[in-house]
Parts: sequence; structure tokens; C-alpha cells
Amino acid sequence: MAAVDPRVEQYARLLVERSLDVQPGWQVMVVATPLARPLVEEVVRLIARRGAYPLVRLSWTDMEQVPFDSLWGSEAPVEMLETMAPSEARTREELDAWMLILAPENARAGLVLDAERRGLLRKASIPFNRRRLAPGFPWVGCTYPTPAGAQEAGLTLEAFEDFVYGAALLDWDAERERMQRYADRFDAVDAVRIVAEGTDLTVSLTGRHGMVDDAHYNVPGGEFFFSPVEDSAEGVVTFGEFPAVYHGAIVQGVRLRFEGGKVIEATAAANEEFLIATLDTDEGARRLGELGIGCNPGIQDHMGHPAFDEKIDGTVHLAVGAGLAFVGGTNQSAVHWDMVKDLRRGGRIELDGELVQEDGRWLL
Amino acid sequence: MISTDPRVDAYAKLLVERCLDVQPGMQVLIRTTPLAAPVVTALEREIAHRGAYPILRIGFVMWPANPVWAAEAPEALLAELAEIDRFASDHMDARITMDAPENTRDGSDLPPRRFQLTRQAEHYFFRRTMAGEIPWVSCAFPTEALAQDAGLTLAQFEDVLYGACLVDWEREAERMQHLAERFDAAEQVRIVGAGTDLTLSLAGREGKVDDGHDNMPGGEFFYSPLEDSAEGVIDFSEFPSTYQGHEFAGIRLRFRDGAVVEASARKGEATLHALLDRDEGARRVGELGIGCNAAITRPMKNVLFDEKIDGSVHLALGQSYEKVGGKNVSSIHWDIVKDLRPGGRIELDGERVQENGAWLI
Repeated sequence: MAAVDPRVEQYARLLVERSLDVQPGWQVMVVATPLARPLVEEVVRLIARRGAYPLVRLSWTDMEQVPFDSLWGSEAPVEMLETMAPSEARTREELDAWMLILAPENARAGLVLDAERRGLLRKASIPFNRRRLAPGFPWVGCTYPTPAGAQEAGLTLEAFEDFVYGAALLDWDAERERMQRYADRFDAVDAVRIVAEGTDLTVSLTGRHGMVDDAHYNVPGGEFFFSPVEDSAEGVVTFGEFPAVYHGAIVQGVRLRFEGGKVIEATAAANEEFLIATLDTDEGARRLGELGIGCNPGIQDHMGHPAFDEKIDGTVHLAVGAGLAFVGGTNQSAVHWDMVKDLRRGGRIELDGELVQEDGRWLL
Repeated sequence: MISTDPRVDAYAKLLVERCLDVQPGMQVLIRTTPLAAPVVTALEREIAHRGAYPILRIGFVMWPANPVWAAEAPEALLAELAEIDRFASDHMDARITMDAPENTRDGSDLPPRRFQLTRQAEHYFFRRTMAGEIPWVSCAFPTEALAQDAGLTLAQFEDVLYGACLVDWEREAERMQHLAERFDAAEQVRIVGAGTDLTLSLAGREGKVDDGHDNMPGGEFFYSPLEDSAEGVIDFSEFPSTYQGHEFAGIRLRFRDGAVVEASARKGEATLHALLDRDEGARRVGELGIGCNAAITRPMKNVLFDEKIDGSVHLALGQSYEKVGGKNVSSIHWDIVKDLRPGGRIELDGERVQENGAWLI
């Protein structure tokens, strides 16, 4: 392999040293596609230097949660899907840290699975997700720039590389301090109200504490997030600015009405069928698992990449489905679908009635 | 990745149905590289249809599994697989190892000591298949690198590979079984050729026919000869030999009481001596195999294929096969192929059974 972009090495260092802080003897699972080879090899080298084992798991399509290619999931007997192969299940009980490197060859490859089969496959992952999202377990999800990723973002590969590394290689201690200051204000209040065009939604954070992602769980980081009280969401939210993207599927103009914490009305401008099918995956899929506030100054434009879009400075995102146990969330679901709402044009956030952000700019 | 070559689907079906006979609920471990994507895709589909699980272990390099890691990790970690990988080795129900290199020299810059430690760790991975506890198959997928070593274009190499694999294995089984029974009934095998006159004893040993099960391509029958029986000399000057990334030419071995007592080579002699000194068992014959695959006619610097050349025999130095009564223990198993087509012959208890590579029985 030719000379590696020095940013790849810095990226690997960030993942192994800051995000996971790999310790001697650890078994670190590294999930990626073959296209991420330069980053995977740098990561493996740093894992070696820390005296730990890499468990590299390469696959082609959409390995996010499932232990095997989606292709298998699309053709295996349906009754097998809810159970992980014993070897894979055991792997996830034993591993010490988990790294997901998204590096798609085709961002639509995941469409091979219909919503029902995906739901069943994701059920097989619930035990691991419970373990991963419990306090103290080191994990990180990140993106390696590929032509497909660039295409999705409407950029050349070179421009997309600049974007990814620009958003990821920040002074994360400084970012942490800035975000913590906002998060402390949210921690101290009960009600968060989000107002914008077609949107007036209130959720309760009573008794919940937020978590700042300063490049620990996601790289790039740049958000702070909560699991709101599960039965608290009231009102309506319209995701009119950006499409909602879930495992390659695109849903335009999602509008959700909540009552008693639950989605009681869901519409979309296009692909509504997929939205409804996903919300009907299980009991918890209609409740909020997360409220996140995007703060990454390196991300200004919507790219069609959930991992970046949810960090856009001046946005919030709501995830329907699984709550995050490490911030007190109790909602159980096989789904966790982040939908991003832009507040930069006429939106605002109120905390217990006090205006704290307007048009995406902090007043704190 | 979708393949448009219908032979890829036929190959996947052969591996899943004949070689492994995958059953519902099995965990089928597949070890290969990203270049094998077309056949892995087809394998996943076949395995799904049989209601079994594929356990994918795809790495950029196969042996060692992770040279970048092996170059820098503490040596103490190298000699043993990670606990999770040991568990997967203990619990797989079938194994496919499919060579599909991007560069057949990958990993060759690893210091010998580190390479050796990774081999030690891999021993655990092979333990159950070598003991015959589970079905397994070693095979290859056509890549530019394999074609290059074979001196062929990719299209030519594909024709050789599929031509050697997609055959009527029931008929091949019958033909080879007929030959193997004659060897089973004999005590002494004598191999004669240019610079070669070697005898081995098979007394009390039975052969095994690979009719498309453990190797794909199959097409050989093999023995572990009595460990102290090899006497005489053998000259492997027709074909080059490769082992663990090293190349050899013109290997010549003299045996006494089963052990190599004299060894030389035109190329790679120092490495040859180092390998013979690797351990106690490295100087003894672990296997005598007879190649019978009619679709393989020329050497390709690829032992999986070369040892099946119709009209050749091969000796493996080192580890023998327990399942055919072998008792020799070694960390090496190095198959070296001898062409008998240009003036060689095989005798069983004094009776000539093969001449110039053609069977007389």
C-alpha cells in the first residue's frame, strides 16, 4: 500500500487512544468493510502497540449490528434471524471494546433486507446492545471516507475526506468544555421545548443526566444527548429540512405527533410505508430513545449521513426506539433511528420556559 | 458483489453440499480475503438455504491472519489466539479456508521468530480439523496474484481452477479407490526416476482418497508411511516448491531409517536446512500422496494444485495425518511434488503399477 494520508494515522490514534483507550490484553472488535483497509491497518498497529488483540470483522454490506452479511439475513429461514450464531453471541459477551468503521461501497446495500427481517436481525443484537450501552463499556462508531460516502454527500472523495477529517480531528478537550457548559444547563431543568415551523414539542428530562460526546462514542463527536423520560413527549415535530435516513432507506418530510410519550400519528411526504413499518417493529419503536443536540463546528451541511448530520451545529435530533441505558434511558426496542431537525432558520430551544437557543445560536 | 460467472455458483454449491454437507444450525467458519467476495456471496446464500450460520473471518491476509498486528504486538500475545478466536475454533461445525491473496508474498517480511509464533497460535485453529472432528475444506478463489504465480492470465487460471474442481467426483472417487486398494494391499512402495530411488513402507497403514472433500480441487490418495521406513534418495528437480513464502528449486533428499540424512537444493538450501532443523519430526515423512487430477497438468507454484497433478507423487516432510495412522509430530507439513511423467515409475512390492505417469493397473 502506498503512503497513507497522515490524517488516517491521526484518526486511528484518536479512535484507539481517546475513544476506546485500549488496555493491554483487551480483545477489541473492529468491524469494517475492505475499503477501510488503510484505517483498519493503522488501528490494528496501534492495538498491537497497546498489547491488545484486534478481532477484525470485515464484511461488505451494512454490518452495523448484525454479525453476518445482510445477504444471509435476506435468505435464511425467518425463524433463525432472532438468534445470533452461538459463536457470535459469545464473542459479544466477551469482547472488551467495539469499533465500527462505516466505509460503504454502496450506501444503499442495506436495502437487501426488508423492515421485518431487519427488525428480527436487530432483535438478535439486543443483548449486545444492552451490554454496549451500559455505563463504562468502551465503544465507538466512525466513518472512513469512501467514494460511496462522498457520493451520498454530493462531494468528490477528496472534498469528503477534508470534511470527515475536518469534523473529526478537533481539539476535543476544548470542545468538551464548551459542550459541558450547555449540557449542565439542560441537566438542571425539567422541560425542553423545541419550536420551529410545523414543530412544537416538549419532552421531560426530570431526573435524567446528559452525556457529552467529545469523540468517545462517535467520531466525529460533537453532540450532547439525553434519554428523555419515556412517557413525556407531547406535541408535534416536522423533519421538513432534511430526509430521515435509516439503513440506506430515505424518508422525506417525516412528521410525528406524540401523546403520552408515544407516536400516535406519523406521516411522510415520501416512503411513508417504510416509516410506519419501522415504527411498528415493536412496542418501543414509537417512543423516544434519545434527544441530542448537535454542536460540531466542522459540520454545517446536511450530507445524508446520520453520523454527521446529527452533529450539525444548530440542529437537534430525536431517535425513535431504544433508549440509552448509560444516560438512564429505559425504552427497549430493536430500532434506534435518529432524525435530524434543523433549527437554524426560525427554530428555538426553551428550557423550563427560558429561551436558550435561537436560529441555531446559543444565548447561554 | 455479484458474479456473472456461473461457475462461481456451481463452486459454492460444491463446497457447501459435497465438501461439507452443511446441516441446519451448523456454524460454518469461512476464512478468506475480500477478493473472494463473489464466492462468499454465493456461499452465504447456500448456507442460508440450508438453515445454517456463516461465521465470516475475512482478513486482508490469511496466513498470518494479521501481519500488521503480528509485526508489533508483544511476543507473549503472538503464540496464542485471542480467547474469543479459540472459542470460535472450538465451536465451529465446519471450516472453509479459501486462499484468495492479493499478493502471495504478503506477510513474508515478518521476522521468522514472529512468523513462527503466529504458526504456533494457528495450531489451535487447525486442531479439530486435523483430528477429523469436523468437515473442512481447503480451497482457493482465482485472483490475479495466484494467476501470476501460476504463470497464467486470470482467465486461464480460472479455467484451470474450475476445470479441476467442477468434475464428476463420484466417478473420480471410484477410479482412485480402485488404485488406493492396490496400495493398501501392498507393504512396500518404491519410487524410481531420474536421480531417484526411494522405498517406503505402508505395512499396516490404509490410504485415504480425497474425492473432493478436504481439498478443492481434490484428486489424490495419500498415506502416512511408517515413520522409520524411508530409505534412499529422491530428487525433486522437475518442479519448484514453495513453503511459507519461501521458494525452492532442485531439492534432493537422502533418507536413512526414515530420517533425512543429507539435503541439498539449487535454490533455498539454507532455508531447507533451517526447516529440517525446526524440530525432531521435520526430517521424517508425514505423507506420501499420489496425484490423480486429470485437469491439472502443469505446476503453478501452488501446492493445493501441484500435488494433484496426474502422474506426480508428493512427500510431505513433518506432521503426519492421525486419521491414516500417522504418528509423526512436527510444526511443519511441507508437501514437495515429484513429477513421474518424464521417465518415472512406481512399484508395489516389486510389481510395476505406474510408468511415465500412466497407470498399468
